[in-house]
Amino acid sequence: MASAQPAAAPSGDPNGLQPEEAYTHKLPPLSQRWGFVRGGWESGGTRILDGDSGKMLGLVQTTRWSDLALDPAGKAIYVAETIWSKINRGTRQDYIAVYDPVTLALLSEIPLPGRLIIGAMKNNFVISDDGKTGFVYNFSPASSVNVVDLEKRKMGRVVELPGCASLMPVAGVGFASLCSDGTIATVALAGKAPVITHSQPFFKAAEDPIFDSYIYDRGTGTAVFLTYTGLIRTAKMGAAPTVGEAWSIQAAAGLRPGDTRPLDINWMPGGRQLMALHRKTGTLYVLMHRGEYWTQKEDGEEIWVVDLASRKVKKRVPLKVRASNLEVTQDDKPLLFMTGDEGATIIMDGTSFEQKHKVERTGGGIIATVGGE
Amino acid sequence: MSGFDLDGMGERLLRRMAGNSSRRSFLTKLGATIVAAPVFPLLPVSRARAAKPDRSPEAKTEFARNAQTKDDTKCNYWRYCAIDGSLCSCCGGGVASCPAGTEPSPVSWVGTCINPDDGNAYLIAYRDCCGKAGCGQCGCDNTDRETQLYMPQLNNNVIWCFGTSSMEYHCSTAVMVGKAQ
Repeated sequence: MASAQPAAAPSGDPNGLQPEEAYTHKLPPLSQRWGFVRGGWESGGTRILDGDSGKMLGLVQTTRWSDLALDPAGKAIYVAETIWSKINRGTRQDYIAVYDPVTLALLSEIPLPGRLIIGAMKNNFVISDDGKTGFVYNFSPASSVNVVDLEKRKMGRVVELPGCASLMPVAGVGFASLCSDGTIATVALAGKAPVITHSQPFFKAAEDPIFDSYIYDRGTGTAVFLTYTGLIRTAKMGAAPTVGEAWSIQAAAGLRPGDTRPLDINWMPGGRQLMALHRKTGTLYVLMHRGEYWTQKEDGEEIWVVDLASRKVKKRVPLKVRASNLEVTQDDKPLLFMTGDEGATIIMDGTSFEQKHKVERTGGGIIATVGGE
Repeated sequence: MSGFDLDGMGERLLRRMAGNSSRRSFLTKLGATIVAAPVFPLLPVSRARAAKPDRSPEAKTEFARNAQTKDDTKCNYWRYCAIDGSLCSCCGGGVASCPAGTEPSPVSWVGTCINPDDGNAYLIAYRDCCGKAGCGQCGCDNTDRETQLYMPQLNNNVIWCFGTSSMEYHCSTAVMVGKAQ
């Protein structure tokens, strides 16, 4: 789209039809108004959609067993993935593919010692704020993290991290993750050997788990956590994280808090990538549905718009089509991208909540936006 | 939390095991068990701690209240309370057996499901059948007591085709491990 078509030879055709040469487009510079929509289980590839026009701009090559991450400065698109030499058998290969964000040309492949095979999830492949280090979660079935030097495009060390998963970078320290004992593990990478420290336990991993698709805000170094019953907490990340008190999203909407009891029907959070944060305004969008406890993967029938500062649900937006995944653009006029079982992407104004576009057959996978990952 | 808290017990068991050794050696042992034992005995002891479980409708999850025991090709078949994936019984296999040309995973995630006929809870191992493209039939995603990735043994998203000749996911079974109490 940025390239001009090569000039064709003059032709004497009265209709102006001229012989042509095939050529390849380039993408415009990476835009905050784009959504990177994963095909999901049924469909390979990650479609780049322009939120303003609703048009597809291109596709990033991603297999079913892959995670996509954007360089924070927009210099590269990274895909951590796993394939076998004979499709369903043969030699297993795990690597990060590095793509140019303008040409989508493959720049490099960084071999990995392994990674978790699970389909795309939000926090299994994350990048440090300075863009220099990638963290790839591995599960073999013992859990560890591959630390990758993205500057030299080389695999670094493997950090064993038993009982923990779902990663976020911690600036100047290393990375952190959630653990089954209800703590945050912070892994400091400055020394020769990694140093793992745990916070005090603050959630019950079996009884009211925190969704592992939690949000990390690079700008403030803050994580936003949500539990199955609807408890929201923020945590200021650092060498030792500071975890804030929990408050109920239902109570923030003037309803009674969510409960684990059967037959207690309430509005509950649910989906896969079930929340998104507009960083500048501290607005959290959460997919909610009516149901009992243990319906944590049920698609959302409403979006609840939460102001994190005042701890209030500002608006509840009913959805025409239920959504499983939700992401928001980070510019001043945010757009919401949503996907679900239908395999289409809905693009909605993040302030007026007017539907702008419905893009069919994009797949129903998770979504990334620039600055939102 | 509800009175019915079986996987809370599973968690306590795991924590006990993890606490008695180091976590790392626990996981190393877990890995070794996977290689050594075709059937990994998943949480077999946890049932002993259950005291007089409440089986009234008020204590059952929505899935348990609506579960049936007749048709294992339906998502509401009782053993499928925490399954995620294609039912192997719709793919040429069975509730506890793999379709031709695929291989059962020796490890799995687990669910604790109530049989509506006898009111008992049973431990169910959701073993994947591995080695071919996804079956695509009878997709189910039930989430009773299903947690997140940091508790992988109780998370239904992980592909468990470890220790098989291919890690490609085909379908999921629901293998009876034993009575929960």
